[in-house]
Amino acid sequence: MTSDTNGGIGKYIPGLILCIILGWLALQWDQSIHKWQKDYQESEKILKAYIKEGKPFLPFVEYRAKSEEKYKEKLVTFERAEIKEKPKKPHLLKEKDYENIVATKEIPFKFRFGERMIQFQLTYVAILLLGGMIIRNTIGLPKVFRPGAVLARPIIKPGIVLLGGYYLWSNLLKVGIFALLLVLIFILGSTVLVSIIGRRMKQDDGLMGVMAAGTGICGVSAAVAVAPVVNAKPRDFFYAVGTILLFGTVALFTFPYIGKALGMSEPVFGAWVGTAILNTAQLVAAATWYGHESLLTANIINIVRVGFIPIVVIFCIWFYVIKPAAAEGRHEKINKWQVVKEKFPLFILGFFAMVTLNELGVFTEEHRTIFGKQFLQIFFAVGFAGVGLNIAFEDLKKAGGKAFVIGFIAATLKAVLSAIVVILIGTEAFKVK
Amino acid sequence: MAETKEFEEKAKKVFSAERKEDIWVLILAAITVILGLTGVITTKTFSSLFF
Repeated sequence: MTSDTNGGIGKYIPGLILCIILGWLALQWDQSIHKWQKDYQESEKILKAYIKEGKPFLPFVEYRAKSEEKYKEKLVTFERAEIKEKPKKPHLLKEKDYENIVATKEIPFKFRFGERMIQFQLTYVAILLLGGMIIRNTIGLPKVFRPGAVLARPIIKPGIVLLGGYYLWSNLLKVGIFALLLVLIFILGSTVLVSIIGRRMKQDDGLMGVMAAGTGICGVSAAVAVAPVVNAKPRDFFYAVGTILLFGTVALFTFPYIGKALGMSEPVFGAWVGTAILNTAQLVAAATWYGHESLLTANIINIVRVGFIPIVVIFCIWFYVIKPAAAEGRHEKINKWQVVKEKFPLFILGFFAMVTLNELGVFTEEHRTIFGKQFLQIFFAVGFAGVGLNIAFEDLKKAGGKAFVIGFIAATLKAVLSAIVVILIGTEAFKVK
Repeated sequence: MAETKEFEEKAKKVFSAERKEDIWVLILAAITVILGLTGVITTKTFSSLFF
């Protein structure tokens, strides 16, 4: 992908393989705990019928036949349009597990363990992020794995594109209007605010330009896009990126728990992280951690937001180059079309293509499951392994100075205010389906 | 000054790498969609990857 001439593609392979292995292990964990959680719920139902209602245990064959019969009955009611939602296939216990429950009249430990892990949200997302971060900052990541681990992060993006198959244009427009509103108020707002405060506090233009773009719109991508136009020095750039990454890391690990504590629904949480977390990989991780509906909403806000990168760059050119030049009596020109062409993130076109294909009826329910749930998980797992392995405390320590204070306060303020606004707007506005 | 110039070049290079990255992202997503639509990958493919 981001191939470099030094060392060629070969230098990426070890790290990439490591991320694929970690991703697979985490998905294996995720599959197991989700299965055990379902087993837990089924066991609880069986035991409740025995203990509270006094119903005797059925032989396994009868238990299976009865569950399947009930499902068929529900299916007929659905086909008669008496119920709106298609019934899900029943989750049945394996014979060995069923017999074990009948004999012991207790829920097996592994089922309880699965239920607990889901309760604490320790899904593949948390395992990869926490695990990767712990590995990186304790035993360390040998240099041979580093290039590949960096390359693994954008593997999240094909997942974002594939998720497009889940939306219709009507969903996109409905949530998109609110997304646009949030982007205009909070994201462009914080870019402008950081720029103005930075100038009032007589901070260096290069540093504040990068910080304004980074805290406002899209973390590191925007900082990279803006750095050359505002003549940022390397030190400025790393200060700004350090601040953005530090805020994103704190947000990533705390927002899902804050969201639960505030009783945020999945769509509301998605809208919140889409607005408040500065980095695409981190916001996608936090939203996936919270739930699929949360991801669907966060993804729309993120798409609108990254689409605004060229506008932020144009603002920064105007604020840091054209305006000061005009004050000195010089006349600088800006080729807006050139900026849009150079800085527009191409991958979002793929997302829109997927939405259009879904609208045209190209995808069946099975395709949507393959693309928007299963393969999305594969791409995300590899990408999140890369994100976790790249959280190095030494990089976060690079955040510093007054710019750090301004950036961190602006990002925190944006998070608090956007939380209030999305809660007030409510679930219905942000619900994709 | 030379350091800044060098950094500018590096930033431009990083951004052009991001552009290349986006193209690879689109290719990877397109391959997955084609495999899904042609039935090479099904819902069973995913579960067959795990125990």
